Amino acid sequence: MTALAATGLHAGYGDIEVLRGVSITARTGAVTAIVGANGAGKSTLMRVLAGLLPVSRGRLELDGADITKLPPHARVARGVVLVPEGRLIFPDLSVHENLILGSVTPHAQGVRDETLAQVYAMFPRLAERRSQAGGTLSGGEQQMLALGRGLMARPGVLLLDEPTLGLAPAIAKDIFRIVPRLRDAGLAVIIAEQDLRRTLRIADFAYVLENGTVVSSGKGKDLENDPDVQRAYLGLSGH
Amino acid sequence: MRNTLSILCVTLAFGLALYFGGIAAGPYWQLVALNLAMWIALTQSWSLFSGLTGYVSLGHVVAYGLGAYTMVILFREWPVWVLIPIGGAVAGLFALIVALPVLRVRGPYFVILTFGLAELVKFVLLAVETALGQSSRLMFGAPGAQTLLAWMVALAALATLLRHFVGVSVFGRGLIAIREDETAAETIGIPISRYKALAFALSAVIPGMVGAVMALRSTYFEVLQVFSPTISFTIVTMAIIGGAGDARGPVLGALFLVALSEILRGVSPQLYLIFLGISLIGFVLFAPNGLTGLLRRKTS
Repeated sequence: MTALAATGLHAGYGDIEVLRGVSITARTGAVTAIVGANGAGKSTLMRVLAGLLPVSRGRLELDGADITKLPPHARVARGVVLVPEGRLIFPDLSVHENLILGSVTPHAQGVRDETLAQVYAMFPRLAERRSQAGGTLSGGEQQMLALGRGLMARPGVLLLDEPTLGLAPAIAKDIFRIVPRLRDAGLAVIIAEQDLRRTLRIADFAYVLENGTVVSSGKGKDLENDPDVQRAYLGLSGH
Repeated sequence: MRNTLSILCVTLAFGLALYFGGIAAGPYWQLVALNLAMWIALTQSWSLFSGLTGYVSLGHVVAYGLGAYTMVILFREWPVWVLIPIGGAVAGLFALIVALPVLRVRGPYFVILTFGLAELVKFVLLAVETALGQSSRLMFGAPGAQTLLAWMVALAALATLLRHFVGVSVFGRGLIAIREDETAAETIGIPISRYKALAFALSAVIPGMVGAVMALRSTYFEVLQVFSPTISFTIVTMAIIGGAGDARGPVLGALFLVALSEILRGVSPQLYLIFLGISLIGFVLFAPNGLTGLLRRKTS
């Protein structure tokens, strides 16, 4: 079932257009990957999907309803939740407070304690460090905290922007192990990542972004050896 | 729940002590009690917005001044107990209207903008008053000192409870998230513009009412005096010294500064200002979380 559908998205910063007609769909219970080189527009696309950046043209639908013009908080209330690049946890607040803040929307508020127990079960490390300040955690733990905080909003569509950026390989592996569990829990996961191989391995469907447009798409495993993908990822021009 | 009850009891006890203690101890102490209650009400309200969101307002005198002005121009038309809430409503409405442009900037720009806005309102009203041929206004038949003390203590208690309950509410947690990281706050679903505007307006209502009561107390209104930036500075100073982390801070800050001024003003007014400067520097350098921060360090 299609959860999120973007058609012909154009967006950018000032006069600079970063996305030039991007169309993607993400299904419930599936991992949708956005891969591409640095500067291809992955993070911009994620920001547009979360509502942090307005589109100049195009349409975004959630479960068939138009959400193109909705502000970020209204999208979170409808279950579209971004775990931002660089994690952006609240460094001076405790792990527990960070997580509690994740469930400010009314529908998440009602089941907060239940969700909190689930998040602590999923990330035992966070439970151990619940009263520690967010800023004192390691990079991997901060990423888990950001992920946990995102889950506290009870998302239907979870947007993961570069979740393994700057993490040690062993910890990145942990993150990649968690993503399929979220999918199996029935979420539509959209992941933007630079780690092409690992990302394609866990992706049910993937889009390859180059210069703000989708140059290739298909099942994750099929794309792994696609020459177009290699080219787009490495950022080489021409064939 | 027990915490809620204890906050209510402590506030009530402190308020009653301030009111009856002030009255019993004679006219001088009654004035000190009024001053203390006034600064608590103002600093709590400031802390509700600036303490929680981290947007430091240096223009809170505007709310106070608008409340006072409302009282003075409508004094003969309506009863006082109607005008005090109206003063608060005028201040809150003004804050709500200016919130949209003002809250677009952050950090030092916000500080300067709020200060500039307060000065702008002051000089506009000065021009209006001059055009009306009013250099100052007098009020005759204002309520007595005891009645005003009762109002002021009630406002201080109300501001304290408001600060506390907003601080622990979902709304307050949203404001704290805005203070910590505004973009992150946006991604977790906090309607940041609405929250900031609401907190800004809410933090102006009680100062508006305080201004209305103080106009009755001085029975005299002069724009430059009522809109004096010193009021804004004093509020921020008290919040820094007391700590803006919770509802205890503004009470401690106001107590500290009012005591300091009462003790030293008799001796030498200059000495008071020197001590004020020294303690401000000392707190910023060595106890940036104020007296409440020191208390917390002691207990933990």
